[in-house]
Amino acid sequence: MFKRDEAVKPSAPMPTDGPRTETSRISESDMVTVGTIGKSVVIKGELSASEDLTIEGQVEGKIELRQNILTIGANGKIKASVFAKAVIVQGEVHGNITATEKVDIRDAGSVDGDLAAPRVAIADGAHFRGSIDMQRAGEAKALADATKPAGDGVKVDASKPAVPAGAVPGVTSNAPQSR
Amino acid sequence: MLKWGSRLAESPQAAPPSTPPQADTVVTSKVFPRFLAAMGHQPSPVLLDLGPVVGSNVSFFGERLACKLYVEDVYSDIEAHAKRGERGQLAQFLATRLTQAPDSVDGVLCWDLFDFLDRPAGLVLAGQLARMVRKGGALYGSFGTTPTELKHYTRSVIASEDSLRHRVSAATPVTRTVLLTRDIIKMFDGLIVAESVLLKSSTRETLFRRP
Repeated sequence: MFKRDEAVKPSAPMPTDGPRTETSRISESDMVTVGTIGKSVVIKGELSASEDLTIEGQVEGKIELRQNILTIGANGKIKASVFAKAVIVQGEVHGNITATEKVDIRDAGSVDGDLAAPRVAIADGAHFRGSIDMQRAGEAKALADATKPAGDGVKVDASKPAVPAGAVPGVTSNAPQSR
Repeated sequence: MLKWGSRLAESPQAAPPSTPPQADTVVTSKVFPRFLAAMGHQPSPVLLDLGPVVGSNVSFFGERLACKLYVEDVYSDIEAHAKRGERGQLAQFLATRLTQAPDSVDGVLCWDLFDFLDRPAGLVLAGQLARMVRKGGALYGSFGTTPTELKHYTRSVIASEDSLRHRVSAATPVTRTVLLTRDIIKMFDGLIVAESVLLKSSTRETLFRRP
């Protein structure tokens, strides 16, 4: 009896943070890595990343997320050539956008430039001026590959593990918010 | 319980009631399907749309034709000139408005643009468009036949391959420019009329082709 009771009894006290650890383990493995460039951040140059990225700040130059989704937030202002798997525009873009899957311009979005993607969605109320090249997927991918530079040329390292929303991977800024 | 719970979760939620705009009208088109058919024969055609950008039209053309589409909202230019009281300068403006090269476009969508242009401006634009259309290409347009006052622009949304949904937006009023069929043919010098249908709405839909 005594032995049976001992067997039933937990050998070690239940860790108080057990369930929390399990939860965090699941969330880490399932979490989609998304970086955010805050609205006070201004980047001039070439921006590339290997994770999904949301831009609420200003970027001038070139943006490359060939395997990932780029979201230009409502506060985002882009003057750049953009290359990504998919691009969602809620802010302003002046420049050409090339996506291997889809370009999605939401109702508050504005694009002055040429689009190249197999699928393009433009919401009512969105501003667009330019041309739309809706080639087949293979052709668009070939186009994107053709424009890929020989080196990675990473200027902003946004390939680190998940960062909380609002943080800027690889970029720090103490600048006051301009808006 | 689990099944019941999951079934509840899977049950379709009540869709928000759709409220279509009251002013929308759907018009059956006999000429637009011919335009689509003409474009369907071109591999990755290049289209020029002179109307405001319509997202669903862009998606339609992308899925149907896998095309390249230039969106040049000439209506907004007309409205800007009208608001400034400069309609008379549209001919001069339109002479340099479009930058597409000659023989570079397979299809042009004019919609009802020429109703809002005076004759000199219409002549300039039509000449440019006729030069842009490639051999085998097509141009779609509609021309009103009654000189009524136009108080709104019509945005043509493709509802299906043979019907267009007309969505209106306010315009600076102007009397429609009515063009005779022979004048229209002369304006688009170099193109031939492949199809011309007078609708019940007293609008003539016309498809031009470059032979």
